[in-house]
Amino acid sequence: MFRAVFRLSATGARSLARSRPCYSAPLASRCYSHGKVETDEEFDARWVTYFSKPDIDAWELRKGMNTLIGYDLVPEAKILDSALRACRRLNDVASAIRILEAVKDKAGPHKEIYPFLMQELKPTLSELGISTPEELGMDKL
Amino acid sequence: MSLPKPVMRGLLGKRLRFHLPIAFTLSIISAIAFKYAVTEPRKQAYADFYKQYDSVKEFNAMREAGIFESVRPSGE
Repeated sequence: MFRAVFRLSATGARSLARSRPCYSAPLASRCYSHGKVETDEEFDARWVTYFSKPDIDAWELRKGMNTLIGYDLVPEAKILDSALRACRRLNDVASAIRILEAVKDKAGPHKEIYPFLMQELKPTLSELGISTPEELGMDKL
Repeated sequence: MSLPKPVMRGLLGKRLRFHLPIAFTLSIISAIAFKYAVTEPRKQAYADFYKQYDSVKEFNAMREAGIFESVRPSGE
């Protein structure tokens, strides 16, 4: 997929000389030519499992979210659903709303992502009784 | 009306893959442009000035103007 780098780059020779890091996973990439690369589905499943731990503690929730936010991706709705349910188990509505704010921020200039995720998460939000930052007026400065 | 699933992965990588070659290229071009538009003309100007520079003649002109303390104008 990242052979596209050389095609897209206007200075193909230059980018060849600069030997780009290969990042086929959004993780802080270990660039190995051998060894298995995790698929997107495996990545998502791993994170859903992480947040589904029944006795997850507050530290693990924070650590998980901070690690997840560090990746070059916006988390899938199912990961966020799992994280929001973990917040529910921990009676932490503040973190739940913060997760929504973080997801909006992660989308950056791509304004279509947050509305899509809100659409996907609406059943979960109403089931768990989580207000969105917009409903609370927290999205304005 | 349900929204289609947007791309959610690799957004920063895509942006960097597009912008970094441009950034590096433009920086290098501006450095080269500065070198040949500014520094080379300056160096040439200095070289041209000193090619025909007669330091003894300039020294004597300054001496006659009386600006030195160590050597008086030739008249005194």
